[in-house]
Amino acid sequence: MTAETTSALLLSIRVAVLATLLNGLVGVPLAYILARRRFRGRGLVDLVTTLPLVLPPTVTGYYLIVLLGRRGWLGASLYHATGWSIAFTWYAAVVAATIMALPLLVRTAKAAFESVDRDLERAAYTLGRSEWRTALEVTLPLARNGILAGIVLAFARALGEFGATLMLAGNIPGKTATAPLAIYTAVQTGEDAVALLLVGMLTALSCLVIFAANRLGARAT
Amino acid sequence: MSDRLEVALSLRVPGFDLDVAWSAGGGVAVLFGPSGAGKTLTLQCLAGLITPNAGRIVVDGRVLFDSASGVNVPAQARRVGYVFQGYALFPHLTVAQNVGFGLRDLPPARRAQKTAAVLEQLGLGDLDRRYPRELSGGQRQRVALGRALAIDPALLLLDEPLSALDAPLRRALRDELRAVLSTVGTAAVLVTHDFTEAYRLGDRIVVYDAGRVVQSAPRSELLWQPASESVARIMGIRNVLRGTVVKASPDRIQIRWRGHLLEAVNSPSRSYLPAADSPIAFFIRPEYVRLIRKDRGEADPAHHMNLMDGVVVGEEDFGTTWSLRIRLTAPGVPAQGDHDLEVEVPHLVYEILEIERDRRWQFSIHRGSIHVLPA
Repeated sequence: MTAETTSALLLSIRVAVLATLLNGLVGVPLAYILARRRFRGRGLVDLVTTLPLVLPPTVTGYYLIVLLGRRGWLGASLYHATGWSIAFTWYAAVVAATIMALPLLVRTAKAAFESVDRDLERAAYTLGRSEWRTALEVTLPLARNGILAGIVLAFARALGEFGATLMLAGNIPGKTATAPLAIYTAVQTGEDAVALLLVGMLTALSCLVIFAANRLGARAT
Repeated sequence: MSDRLEVALSLRVPGFDLDVAWSAGGGVAVLFGPSGAGKTLTLQCLAGLITPNAGRIVVDGRVLFDSASGVNVPAQARRVGYVFQGYALFPHLTVAQNVGFGLRDLPPARRAQKTAAVLEQLGLGDLDRRYPRELSGGQRQRVALGRALAIDPALLLLDEPLSALDAPLRRALRDELRAVLSTVGTAAVLVTHDFTEAYRLGDRIVVYDAGRVVQSAPRSELLWQPASESVARIMGIRNVLRGTVVKASPDRIQIRWRGHLLEAVNSPSRSYLPAADSPIAFFIRPEYVRLIRKDRGEADPAHHMNLMDGVVVGEEDFGTTWSLRIRLTAPGVPAQGDHDLEVEVPHLVYEILEIERDRRWQFSIHRGSIHVLPA
């Protein structure tokens, strides 16, 4: 295994793990709010979170450049203040993977929260629990399997991210070239052995993910 | 007796208006009526799970909600025990954890002690480590009741507490529930659409229909004096009939019905004096219609009031009684589809009189058994 394939694999795993963590931190509360609260703009939030699932990944990547690029809406002021831009760094790969994986987690977790009987929450309120304590003690434990299944899906999606990552992070070997990008490069340059090795490893990892998701699904029923 | 519970609610939700006011003097108040009448919504308002648009809720002098003075005690602070339809037991917690759920503020030792006492009281002592899915329907009902009682509620709410059970168990648990409620002595509000259940469990029955209270009365008064024809129909009373007034006095009413002149007692507590020729509704309980025995000679009109002839056109076996559909020997369309009267006779009578073979009978109804319904 060459240094470049190793670094591509390690980078992919690091990006996927970080993106999954961010998904958990942002996506689970977001899913709870979408499932349980009625507020103005709820439909819009739902739409924006779901969009990356439907849009071509390059389109999502384009929006991310518009937002975070050196001359982007947020990126410009960041560059102005610090002289640093997220574009073409491995952080950009994390951002791209997070945004692309978020709809999978949010939709799965939202369905899991919605499947919790509201009378259980009402019972907790009459027994003195605040909404916050009820969410922690009743809703979250009962939605747990659905949330874990969503996290597995999000991890798989983050691991395989290609289009949006290419747009925002580029394909810099040893820096932003994740495994899927490295496979593309290897095929383009005729390095069949490298491509085959990476393909094999990603296939094995994906099988593991499916196995884990099935086990969680079986336990949920 | 002063009222322990005062309820006045006005709530508008899409497609439904709830506008009710009633009070109860302690014991068990039953909210009775068809599905979708607003009974569960009332419970949710009492528990503070829904905020009504306007109204006032007072329990034992403590104001829980008053739109006029802006009082709205949150559900968490109301100390209202709620037994949900389907029980809503926490599936991830054991029986003991479910019952102790509302006791979080107590020190652990006190909490365990209180939980054990409640489990003991409801005969659940040896089930404390089980999970809800491992319990029978009756045990779940007791756990739900125990969880609500553990917080020493000021008011207990029960939403169809027996509907999830099968018939024999339901009867046993109905009587058990009645015993527990009277032992605890907490003011309780129970929702049901089963009149037998309402009558067995309630001290007062509040009849709901389409978001309104159509009658609120002590249970015995409701049984014999429904306030109107619609209340009688909601209660599932059989033989609710319509005739024409011939003559009304404070103690008697004469009614023309299906070619017969019926004489009925006018209720002394609410005498009702409709004009002659006005329409009138009345009901006759099927078990109060007398069949005249043929082996005892001719029926005597002086002795047998409201005498009528008819034919049995259909019958249903209810296990211990037979319900006979009678069509009167009179011209015109029968009052209730293919028949005029439903008559209930015990199995023994059915066999002795050989009703299966002999279909033609005379009937008599005592004037006290014809109940006039105010318009």
